[in-house]
Amino acid sequence: MTLRSQLAKTVGKSSQWFLTNFTKGGSSLPGKLALKIDPHILDTLAKDYEVIVVTGTNGKTLTTALTVNVLKQEFDHVLTNPTGANMAQGIVSTFLSAKGNKNSKKFAVLEIDEASLSKVTEYIKPKLFLFTNIFRDQMDRYGEIYTTYKLIVDGAAKAPEATILANGDLPIFNSVETVNPREYYGFNHQEDSEMMAHYNTDGVLCPNCQHILHYKMITYSNLGKYYCANCDFKRPELDYQLTALGDMTNTSAAFTIDGEDYNIEVGGLYNVYNALSAAAIGEHYGVSADKIRKGLAYDEKVFGRQEVIEVDGKRCTLVLVKNPVGLNQVIDMIDLAPRPFSLVSLLNANYADGIDISWIWDGNHEAFADMAIPKVITGGDRRKDMSLRLTVAGIEDSIMTEAASFQEVIEEIKSAPTDDVFILATYTAVLQLRKELANQGYIKGGM
Amino acid sequence: MAEKVIRACHLYGNLLNTYGDNGNMLMMAHVAKQQGVAFESKIVSIYEEFNPDEFDFIFFGGGQDYEQTIVSKDLQTKKEALTQYIEDEGVILAICGGYQMLGHYYIGANGDKIPGISALDHYTESQEDNRFIGDVEIHNEAFNETYVGFENHNGVTYLGEGEKPLGTVTTGYGNNGKDNGEGAIYKNTFCSYLHGPILARNPHLAKRLVDIILDKKYAK
Repeated sequence: MTLRSQLAKTVGKSSQWFLTNFTKGGSSLPGKLALKIDPHILDTLAKDYEVIVVTGTNGKTLTTALTVNVLKQEFDHVLTNPTGANMAQGIVSTFLSAKGNKNSKKFAVLEIDEASLSKVTEYIKPKLFLFTNIFRDQMDRYGEIYTTYKLIVDGAAKAPEATILANGDLPIFNSVETVNPREYYGFNHQEDSEMMAHYNTDGVLCPNCQHILHYKMITYSNLGKYYCANCDFKRPELDYQLTALGDMTNTSAAFTIDGEDYNIEVGGLYNVYNALSAAAIGEHYGVSADKIRKGLAYDEKVFGRQEVIEVDGKRCTLVLVKNPVGLNQVIDMIDLAPRPFSLVSLLNANYADGIDISWIWDGNHEAFADMAIPKVITGGDRRKDMSLRLTVAGIEDSIMTEAASFQEVIEEIKSAPTDDVFILATYTAVLQLRKELANQGYIKGGM
Repeated sequence: MAEKVIRACHLYGNLLNTYGDNGNMLMMAHVAKQQGVAFESKIVSIYEEFNPDEFDFIFFGGGQDYEQTIVSKDLQTKKEALTQYIEDEGVILAICGGYQMLGHYYIGANGDKIPGISALDHYTESQEDNRFIGDVEIHNEAFNETYVGFENHNGVTYLGEGEKPLGTVTTGYGNNGKDNGEGAIYKNTFCSYLHGPILARNPHLAKRLVDIILDKKYAK
């Protein structure tokens, strides 16, 4: 370790100790200070770590959490970055906070935003990249799916030895050659039959010959056993396979991966993909099936992801939605609910939500019309847009209420005719609703 | 009396579906249904034949650059039929990429000049390192109607012969940020950069389109 990086580490660690003990802590300031003293501090800090990077549009947070939990069953030292701290200074802070440890194998599982990947691999050389998926997401900020994919491929290329472990069911992950070696995980749980993706789906063109892809099995969106009927482009061989899908409820799923049965305590097919990728990483590092099983049986809810809040006897499940593919998955998950429920849909259009709300028209809200929902509440700044969307989807106006404030949303929830309530909300609407719920004492410990 | 029906073509509906474009089709169906009119829709995509006699309405949306490049090649095979449909006063709503491709050309993401079908006399240049993003409000004098929406485009479009803008910009940038025009109208072809999508934000425009279609088809 050079004198400069030693100094950077000391200053970073001291400031972290100070912040933790005398303020609320959790700041990225220590990382910032350390980076200032030594821009290459990450080289030093991450040197002894097997770094795994999780990136992609949807599922980063839960995949990271599950992967950490799986690896922890086998290895003593597994570090991870808190949600949101995925820029360079946040990652430096993450490493600074690591407790000193012995010579055992040390892991760092880092959730990295697609656009930040290149900046991070400038300093850290990960050993494994996990690509969850690339979907259209907040297009006023990010680009098109092909641009986003290029960002992460270029980011990974800066650590060319590292393996890319990618979702094999997504055509884009097989569209270009990469300098990195690749492995794939995917679903192989159904007999082949002939189908096409729903017409309102992105990324269905064959990258070789630009014909529309066919499928022998589709899980959701454009994910599945794709092939081109015009050339030889098709889904690659899978290294890690989900071979059976068992009971799926809105709060759990059972499935078989590479001959082993697993369960997760969170609903939705999209979360089964997250579990599959975490199990694949476990297998990649030789973690036994028993330990993977324990790791996946993780039941701490991640912020805004199917969090359950009690409001005067109403069991409210809060789900963050931000793009059409995610929304459609949430709708399918809700459809598995065993008891009658009311629906709350909260739409904001602040920067963090995406200022363009046109994506609500690409989501399959039509499915709600078939679910016999007795009460629908819309809220948020763009509640009128949401009400119209639901009307056009076939929801009767007689069961719909527009709530002008978050207090009113909560009042309407209290008078809902069902014990179960599903609340779908964009990012800042989740924050505002939680704040109001905290004010009224429904969430302990404030935010 | 037999039930009235609007037969709609969602042109390249499986490739051009960005920015909630499909919402325009949903709104057309919704408004038609409110008037007791059935609405049938069919996608005509790449390598498929477009027959203008089959349809009373065409929706032509926009997509990602890659998909649009593929579509612009295929579109040349449908150029004659589409031009005939437009000249015969067939009703079209074209948004973003669809709007651009009905004109002479637009400039793709990598600077290439991508040909349209010159059915309308406009052309689209690109801006360097800039996009027009944000809320838009425009006013149409002839209809005395205001339309609102959201724009997100790098292209700057200049109208040509026979075309009038869909409206005069009161908020936002519009076609090119210079001449205060947004969108285009030529015969019964309506073009715009507004999404949100435009018909969901402006049900009165959907009603206008449905009325024009029904007039043309049934008022004889």
